[in-house]
Amino acid sequence: MEEKSMRITVQRTGGFTAIPITKTVDVTAMPTNEATQLRQMVEAADFFDLPAEIPSTSQPDRFVYQISVEQEGKRHSVTVGETAMGPDMKSLVDLLMKSGH
Amino acid sequence: MKTRQKKSIRAKNYANKSSHVCPICCIIPPHMMDHIIMHGNDKMRAYALQTLRSSEQFRGKREVMGNVSFAVSPGQKRRTVYDAAEGETLPGALIRAEDGPPSRDIAVNEAYDGAGATYDLFHDVFERNSIDDQGLRLDSTVHYGTRYDNAFWNGNQMVYGDGDGQLFNRFTIAIDVIGHELTHGVTQYEAGLIYKGESGALNESFSDVFGSLVKQRSLNQSVNQADWLIGAGLLAPGVNGAALRSLKEPGTAYDDPMLGKDPQPAFYKDLYRGSQDNGGVHINSSIPNHAFYLAAMEIGGFAWEKTGKIWYIALRDTLRSRANFRRAASATINIAGELYGQSSEEQLAVRNAWKTVGVI
Ligand SMILES: [Zn+2]
Repeated sequence: MEEKSMRITVQRTGGFTAIPITKTVDVTAMPTNEATQLRQMVEAADFFDLPAEIPSTSQPDRFVYQISVEQEGKRHSVTVGETAMGPDMKSLVDLLMKSGH
Repeated sequence: MKTRQKKSIRAKNYANKSSHVCPICCIIPPHMMDHIIMHGNDKMRAYALQTLRSSEQFRGKREVMGNVSFAVSPGQKRRTVYDAAEGETLPGALIRAEDGPPSRDIAVNEAYDGAGATYDLFHDVFERNSIDDQGLRLDSTVHYGTRYDNAFWNGNQMVYGDGDGQLFNRFTIAIDVIGHELTHGVTQYEAGLIYKGESGALNESFSDVFGSLVKQRSLNQSVNQADWLIGAGLLAPGVNGAALRSLKEPGTAYDDPMLGKDPQPAFYKDLYRGSQDNGGVHINSSIPNHAFYLAAMEIGGFAWEKTGKIWYIALRDTLRSRANFRRAASATINIAGELYGQSSEEQLAVRNAWKTVGVI
């Protein structure tokens, strides 16, 4: 399990500034602690079973996130507005925005 | 009551219309949420429940505020500013209320003063009593989230982040940002412009236009003195740019290695047609923005007096939720004719402006 290759990309669009920001992490190349944490977050969010688009209430100037996970040739993307993000997804996105490049 | 009913009908229409893109990504009235919870699949149900939970605090507050507004005489400015203390629970702790002393927190005072200047523009110039024209209390929350690079209107109140300090300063720093957010509230109660595609870009444009007018009026600037920028002062030191958007010269507000280049087009032929940002609502807003700028420059004087009035009446009386740029053009041209005479200089100026940007 721990050895599986994993890359996560998050793209933030929208917001008042509307300046898109993309962050990518190669989980395989991360320190063990953080890597484990990220893998657990992906697991906890049930990521590969999420719909491609998660409905959210539309509020002006809110962020929209597109999160893509590539794992062992499997790839899945989920688009979600910030009003509809659950706590699992939110901590995942926060960590990626902080530690991604 | 009447307003709320009208809104929910609009929201429903939009949901039906856009169902091929995203079944419920618009304003979701509670009854639709209930429908999803009863009939949606498991995932949808989970997210509907979650959205419902997170909006419950707002709904509760709206009911309380609804009761309060009966006790208030019309035409009275009422503001409150709360502090979320870097959390995301709204509204947060009450820091300053109407007629309360200034805070030691600059963001609190900026939110308070900016809300006041916006109220004054709509009240003194357009004879509008607050966002809903019924004296709605203007609530603002500052210090929302951690290093949060955003400001928004959540349907009931304004919310401001502190910015990350590297790219953006605190979002209350620019008074036009405050006017922008409050105008989203006015639009919600009036034209209800759907936040997608051209109607969404119009929604954004009205917010930029009145945001800029709030700034111009607070500085007593004529069309020639105004900077016509949105978010001047918002970019952190070291970022190469003057602001986020320019009504005068769309596409020139910033050009920075970290932020990229201002993508706004000035002309309809360069309309962004991608799906990002709800179909480019913050990108294509520059086309009607520039039309407003051109009309205001040709009409001259203080932009809020004539050009602002034409645009305000279009927002209040004419435009409907699915309006596109062409509708906005014909609405403002007609209103200019009604206010200042057919073939008047004012009407000519408005028509020229929309022609120049390529909408008509
Ligand atoms: Zn906006």
